[in-house]
Amino acid sequence: FGLSLPAVAVLLVALLCLDPHGRVGSAPICAHGPSGCHIPSLADLFDRVIQHSARMHSLSNDLHSEFEQYFLPSKNHIGKIYRKCHTSNILTPNGKDNAQKLAREELTEVILKLLMAWRDPLFQLHQSMAHQQDFNSFSSNKALEMGDMAHELRKGVEKVAEKMRVLGMLGNSVTGLSAAEAMLPLSDSGEAMSDYELLYCFRRDSNKVQNYLKILKCRIVPEHDC
Amino acid sequence: MRNSGAVLILTFIAILTLQAAGVSPPGKPRLTSCRSPEKETFTCWWEPGGDGGLPTTYALYYHLENSETVYECPDYRTAGENSCFFNKNDTSLWVNYNITVVASNALGKNISDPVEVDVVYIVQPNTPEHVTAVVVHDEQGPFVRVSWEKPRTADTRSGWITLLYQLRVKQEKDKEWEEYNAGMQKYYNVFSLHPDKEYMVQVRCKPDHGFWSEWTQTTYVKMPDYITRERSLWIMITIFFVFIVVILTWTLNVKRNSVKLCLLPAVPGPKIKGFDKQLLKSGKSEEVFNTLVIQGFPPTTDYDNLLVEYLEVYDNEEQELVQDGKDLSEDCMKSKSPSDIDSGRGSCDSHTLLLEKCMDGREGSGSNQHQYSQHGETRWASTESSESQDPEPGSPESANGRGKTWPVVFPSPQPQPHHHYPVGAAKPAYHSVPEILNHLSPHAMSSNYHQLNHQDILQQERRFSKPACRHSQSYNQFNLDGIDTPAPGVAPSPSLEYVEVQRVNPENMLLLRPLSDPNREPEGSDCTREDYSKVKEVTSNNILLLQRDMSHQCVDDYSQADQCTTQQPPHPCKPAVHQSNSGMPQEAIRVMGNGYVDSTVLMPSY
Repeated sequence: FGLSLPAVAVLLVALLCLDPHGRVGSAPICAHGPSGCHIPSLADLFDRVIQHSARMHSLSNDLHSEFEQYFLPSKNHIGKIYRKCHTSNILTPNGKDNAQKLAREELTEVILKLLMAWRDPLFQLHQSMAHQQDFNSFSSNKALEMGDMAHELRKGVEKVAEKMRVLGMLGNSVTGLSAAEAMLPLSDSGEAMSDYELLYCFRRDSNKVQNYLKILKCRIVPEHDC
Repeated sequence: MRNSGAVLILTFIAILTLQAAGVSPPGKPRLTSCRSPEKETFTCWWEPGGDGGLPTTYALYYHLENSETVYECPDYRTAGENSCFFNKNDTSLWVNYNITVVASNALGKNISDPVEVDVVYIVQPNTPEHVTAVVVHDEQGPFVRVSWEKPRTADTRSGWITLLYQLRVKQEKDKEWEEYNAGMQKYYNVFSLHPDKEYMVQVRCKPDHGFWSEWTQTTYVKMPDYITRERSLWIMITIFFVFIVVILTWTLNVKRNSVKLCLLPAVPGPKIKGFDKQLLKSGKSEEVFNTLVIQGFPPTTDYDNLLVEYLEVYDNEEQELVQDGKDLSEDCMKSKSPSDIDSGRGSCDSHTLLLEKCMDGREGSGSNQHQYSQHGETRWASTESSESQDPEPGSPESANGRGKTWPVVFPSPQPQPHHHYPVGAAKPAYHSVPEILNHLSPHAMSSNYHQLNHQDILQQERRFSKPACRHSQSYNQFNLDGIDTPAPGVAPSPSLEYVEVQRVNPENMLLLRPLSDPNREPEGSDCTREDYSKVKEVTSNNILLLQRDMSHQCVDDYSQADQCTTQQPPHPCKPAVHQSNSGMPQEAIRVMGNGYVDSTVLMPSY
């Protein structure tokens, strides 16, 4: 019986697929140990997250000063009412001693909480900035980038925490990581915060994150830059 | 209501009175700045607004954001006058401080404007410490290594604060500083400093978000005196190139001639004889070109070079038929080329009838072949055939248009002597010879072959014997069959010999006689004659008029009648063909010295 060419091709493909040896699998790149590829050390991971947080903070700083420059001419105007930032519920050390007194796990938890708390507000900030005519596209892009950075930073810090846990530096008392819930940026009065207030609050919180990470790093891996 | 009004008026009057006295409540103080050197403490300074003439006290009050609790400054002393120092316990980061200063004196107080301060953003560290600048000697040259230490108060080790450093360098005389960013490191290498100069160095630092510190005190450093390797290298290169250039220049100078020749090859100038370049440059072209004109060109007078002794006629087509080179001597058959050129050929090959080597003593050969001189025989034949009917001399066209050949006799095969008889004769003789031959030798092979039958000639001779002229003639034998006996009295001429036509008998036969014939009669007046006949003139009919000496007999059977008549030969001259009493053409003919006519007059001018 004669088989047409397409039928033959189909049969061959089917055979290939069914054949387990014909399957293509993926192999890890670093299968052969540290010599095969470069696994970043904890110090490297810390350096990366610290750099990331520095960039994030500088972005927030720029946006805030831009906002202040164009929309709030008088710096020390009376009546500038700052509502509480929505992250003020999170207990954060407000001094060096306090920060050094905190355990690594708690410090890490604080960082993660802060970053988690800003996931949605940053997105909201970008949305509102994009819709407003006052901001140019450059600023709204900055806000978008800022939001992405916060997200990336959180992922990075989670990896660092994971690594620390693997290395035994972190105890198992860190429970807040998974339980961090998203908090709505609502003030006490329940009103939504304005863009400026968001920027103001985020600028401060990004600075906190950067500082805490530095302390953490110099406490855990005090090789250089400390 | 009345009381309050009275109080107001009284207060007003009191103020005025006080002002008149020069005292007043204090002026409004102003907070100038707040700074934190290490992000752990901070200090605020204010300036008083005026004391109003009375001792004034200042108090600083602050409250934290979102809190109404007002605190007063804990330390007015540490930081100096009009300052408030907040220690660690009182400092909270990431919290806004609302600070006001109140100035008060006996008459009243005054409150300054509030200031919002977040400590994190007012960090200005102290200056770096222990700045040192050291000259380090390297193989590439010395440089300055500047090192310092962090300000004592800043805690960078715990990572609480991150400092960035900056240094600046200049010479004493410079206006601008050269700034370098050192990052977070505490040293810096400064290169490209000039040797033997003194430099000033200063360092400052800044937190990642904050204010720059003040510059440190100037540190002086002096560079040593040295020659940079780069400069010495350039010096050497320059010297080397100068040297090369000098050498090249000198070489070029020495060889300048050959260089000139190489670069500017000589352009050949015009080398025209008589061409004057200067005249050309001056622009008078007519004079220049006039010199190029050669008078008398094309040459019409100098015919010396163009004289051809023997003019040859060719008939190319029938040449091959005649020639048979097999059993003929090589010499005789040298060239059969139909061309007219006789240059480069041996005499055998020449078109003239001078066959030197071709002549043997022999006569006759077994063959019936004639050797015939390259040229004329066929020509003869053709002309004969074409003009045989023409008794007149006619116009002796030469096939080649050149001239006329006068082949008189044709060489026989090698044993036979060849005699060439120069024919200065008129055409009639020319024409008549083949007739003679044909007549004489009916057994001639073809019209191409002509033979002068010796015997026949002899017979003719006897028939037409000339009593007065007893000449022993040797006749050439051109007998195909070969005549063994030579003509009587005629020794075979062994070598080159001219034959001459003695006379033409009435039957238009050429009677030939070799010039070197020993039997030649001494000159009887009758028979002596010149070897050559001189052509006196050429008529318009292209007839040569021959001239005879007066004393000689007339052998001009072939000559014109008038000559004969004038000379009155003893025996009748038989004009061969044509008697013409026509007047001689008055053309000027140049007669050569040896009696030959310059035949170039016959040539059409080209």
